[in-house]
Amino acid sequence: MARRLLLLLVLLSGCSKGPQADLQYIGQARSAAAEWALINQKAAAGQLNRTYVNSMHHWLRDAIRTSSDSVTERNSAYAREMDLLLKLPDDAQPQQLRDHAARLKKIEDSLESA
Amino acid sequence: MNPLELTLGIMTAVGGFVDISELVFAAKAGSLFGYALIWAFALGTIGIIVFSEMSGRVAAVAKQPVFNLMRHRLGLKLGLVTLAASVLSTLITCAAEVGGMGLILHYLTGVPYLLMAALSTVVLMATMWVLPFKWIERTYGLLGLLMISFAAALVAIHAPWGKIAGGFVPHVPGGLSTKEMLSFAYFIVAILSAVLFPYETYFYSSGGIEEQWGPKDLGTNRVTSIVGMSLGSLLAISILANSAQLFGPANVGPEIPGSAALEVAIPFGRTGLLLALLGMLFAIAGAAVETCMANAYSVAQFFGWEWGRHRKPWEAPRFTVAWIAFFLISLALVLTGIDPMNLVEYAVLFSILVLPLTYLPLMLLANDKKYMGQYVNGRLAKSLGWLFFAIITAAATAAIPLYVLTSGGQG
Repeated sequence: MARRLLLLLVLLSGCSKGPQADLQYIGQARSAAAEWALINQKAAAGQLNRTYVNSMHHWLRDAIRTSSDSVTERNSAYAREMDLLLKLPDDAQPQQLRDHAARLKKIEDSLESA
Repeated sequence: MNPLELTLGIMTAVGGFVDISELVFAAKAGSLFGYALIWAFALGTIGIIVFSEMSGRVAAVAKQPVFNLMRHRLGLKLGLVTLAASVLSTLITCAAEVGGMGLILHYLTGVPYLLMAALSTVVLMATMWVLPFKWIERTYGLLGLLMISFAAALVAIHAPWGKIAGGFVPHVPGGLSTKEMLSFAYFIVAILSAVLFPYETYFYSSGGIEEQWGPKDLGTNRVTSIVGMSLGSLLAISILANSAQLFGPANVGPEIPGSAALEVAIPFGRTGLLLALLGMLFAIAGAAVETCMANAYSVAQFFGWEWGRHRKPWEAPRFTVAWIAFFLISLALVLTGIDPMNLVEYAVLFSILVLPLTYLPLMLLANDKKYMGQYVNGRLAKSLGWLFFAIITAAATAAIPLYVLTSGGQG
């Protein structure tokens, strides 16, 4: 019985597609963009050292790339936002990054309430 | 009671308490649910105090390490299953710690993370070979105290103390959707698992035997368990509260240890960043040593081999080969390229499944007057022990369904 229930749970979580299934990737990309903005803001104020900033840029870009590769709706607004984020330079303006994060958050909220 | 011994014991507990899982889950929990999960850390802390005090007392009085008890109490077959599950979960935890060290050294130096993970393993193995047990504990415990920078950051950002105090009262935040409720429940289970990791009691009780504790050390054991674990918990709660204050409103959901370091960099700049990264590095290194040693202790005690770091490595050859092998397997897991944060998730998940089997034989022995004499569990220890056994059994039952339904807390 427990095994059947577990199998059902795995199937339910693994087989879904579409915007609802993409929610977790939208959230990951939104979070990475917001953190990128925070890091660039603090780096511009001279509060972080270069090595740390470069490492974090690498990991955050990687997180956005993974999210972008994982979404099932390639022609969606959120997939476009992720692509735009990936085209930005490492030292992008914090406000520009925050705007992308805010747009992803808006999409995320609307999908969650749907 | 030797005050120096006590101080060092407390420092050791602080250094060993905050490992990579607590870093990651505390920061994520604060960002997602504000201060609402502080009580889960507080509850888990009471549980780890109860079980570590019990395991230290059993080590001091009955001179029995946890896995020796397990074989006698559970029988060979069930004992072997528990040993295998426990070794697997602790091995994954050790790999997560090695990966975590690699990541932090990467933030500090810019050298590729896998290379840093390999270098960390070599350094850990060298210190384990060269240093006596007490100095292994003291080195990583003392340097891990740099984690206090997270508590200092909380003061510096003028945290809302009223809201933090409110977080100690168990509650579910209002207005959560079903999905968010499931995620909240997953975080409760994950936090309990991360705080109550079974390796902590294996290491602690074996350490007590290494240091030849007797009934005269029971006061030190009690104070070390209570004050040390509470201070460790305070650091984890500081990470959560900093995250609630700094990351939640900024829409940041921290996923990696480097994000947690930002909590100290925001109020204290470059110096704060360096202190946070070094504190995390040594706390995680301490946890890597503890996990690896705990596994070697478990296997050696179960099969009745010579064991202990108070002996020269060649005087306990199978034990020595075991800890070296566990370090190398952990490194091999990291070198496969698996995301270290996935290792953290698996470590937490596997550990909660093993917890009830780990703590049951310990409690049975601590309740047994034949072994413990006048130091048998009193009414309070017995009641708390059974209460936490019920809590971890419920958490273990819910862990896999919650993990699947929430994609590991991602929603």
